[in-house]
Amino acid sequence: MKHFSLRKLFLGCGALALFILAWKLVTDAKLVSPIFFPGPERTYAALVKGLSGGAMLSQTLETVQRMLLGWLLASFVGVFLGVLIGVSRRARAFIAPTLELLRPLPASAMIPIAIAFLGFSDNMVLVVIAFGALWPMLLATIHGFAAMEPRLYEVSALLGLSRAQVIWKLALPSAMPMILASLRLGLTISLILAVVGEMLASRQGLGQSILAASRSFRSPDLFAGIVILGAIGLVGSRLLSFAERRLLRWQAVSR
Amino acid sequence: MVVTQLSTRPRHGEGNSTPASGEARIRIFDVTLSYGSLQIIGGISLDIAPGETICVIGPSGCGKTTLLRMLAGLARPTSGSVELDGSVLGGPNRSVAIVFQDYGKALLPWRTAAGNVSLALEARGCPGAERLAITREMLEKIGLGRHADKYPAEMSGGMQQRLQIARCLAQEPKVLLMDEPFGALDAMTRQALQDEVLGLVATTGATMVFVTHDLEEAIYLGDRIICLQPNPGRVGRIVDVRLARPRNQLLTRENPEFLRLRRELYDLIKDDHQ
Ligand SMILES: Nc1ncnc2c1ncn2[C@@H]1O[C@H](COP(=O)(O)OP(=O)(O)OP(=O)(O)O)[C@@H](O)[C@H]1O
Ligand SMILES: [Mg+2]
Repeated sequence: MKHFSLRKLFLGCGALALFILAWKLVTDAKLVSPIFFPGPERTYAALVKGLSGGAMLSQTLETVQRMLLGWLLASFVGVFLGVLIGVSRRARAFIAPTLELLRPLPASAMIPIAIAFLGFSDNMVLVVIAFGALWPMLLATIHGFAAMEPRLYEVSALLGLSRAQVIWKLALPSAMPMILASLRLGLTISLILAVVGEMLASRQGLGQSILAASRSFRSPDLFAGIVILGAIGLVGSRLLSFAERRLLRWQAVSR
Repeated sequence: MVVTQLSTRPRHGEGNSTPASGEARIRIFDVTLSYGSLQIIGGISLDIAPGETICVIGPSGCGKTTLLRMLAGLARPTSGSVELDGSVLGGPNRSVAIVFQDYGKALLPWRTAAGNVSLALEARGCPGAERLAITREMLEKIGLGRHADKYPAEMSGGMQQRLQIARCLAQEPKVLLMDEPFGALDAMTRQALQDEVLGLVATTGATMVFVTHDLEEAIYLGDRIICLQPNPGRVGRIVDVRLARPRNQLLTRENPEFLRLRRELYDLIKDDHQ
């Protein structure tokens, strides 16, 4: 077990090293103008300077906070609506097709509407994130409820569980694997939308700083920002899969 | 106490296949069930006395599971009625527990053995401390005391079926329905569980309806054996089992009466299969 994950870690690092090497080779050979495409050393220098100097650090924190708030909002709303729709077979049959249709549109279609109502504000960005990222959680909850073992409904009726107990003790736990997977997807969407929102509404954060760097041809800063975004995404998804493994221990034993 | 109906186990009158109507725990009255135009159950009537153990046998597809589901309130008869203690059974009821054959689907995989038993107690609003005590007691009783913290996926088939039985007992049912509960288990586990169930039924005084494919199991467990005939499902014969209790895997199975019953049932079933 331990041996296996060590090997995976080693392989992962190896791939990363290869990627950085290729990056360095491409920039050293000057295949692309260094003004637009800095090498790993210059990016690293910009990263260290930005994070120690403070500006980039606070922007990172802004973006992480925005992402987390939007994600939490999306998760609560998504799961809550999912439960409302999921508990009733009729509601499911009625609403689910419409949701599937709306799903590919929302994030981008939402932005002008959100701007119209909330202006270029932090709340506007938050609403855009929440609305764009709630879909995976919403659909996972609905599908999870629909996929619950029918026998368990019979068991609940025989034991005399209340409707609330069926939701809390049977339906939600049985949908949990799907919901947890969707939380990871939702976090990625939240990060993307946080950055896009910051760029559009010029709110404090990495999105804005990346945009500013690109407009003033500070390509090392631009790349440093991208590296940080990648790192946020990686750490977030790692933390969530760790939580997932802990919460789904009962599933792991069966494999 | 956990066991509410600890009365001495009333045996129904010797040789009397239908107890007087007033004292029946379950009364099945001219029950039919159809899916669309297809009749599955074609008029079954049966009175089951409190504490009695009825075994149901019959060829595959003759409606044994369907009959049991009606007794559990999970399926509604198309005509006729099922009565529990004199009142019509309108749906699932806490006093009727059922052990399903597919234990894997009936258990909550995300809950430990203790958690699965506890569900029955949570359903009736039993307070936390008491819940722990009863759960522990139930698991001890069925031989899972050391496995309280295991998840179903970590348990063998026999253990999972024990767990399902423990959860049903925690429900404190008056009637215990069993649908081929040991069909998927090996012979030794099966015999051990037969004896455990007989012991539990004897101490709780529960009434049991036990569906099985296995003639010997039916004779070993039952007070009466109902032989169902197919298309549509109906009662072919009712056979009384006059074997002393407590029963014993070796002695009971060697008893000449046991062997005679086995022969009788075998001939009956063979006729149904042509
Ligand atoms: N929901 C349903 N819709 C239509 N037909 C059904 C349904 N459930 C059961 N049947 C039919 O009813 C008949 C009796 O089924 P049932 O499951 O009660 O048989 P069984 O005696 O338990 O068989 P087995 O010994 O194989 O478990 C079968 O012919 C089956 O095809
Ligand atoms: Mg069956």
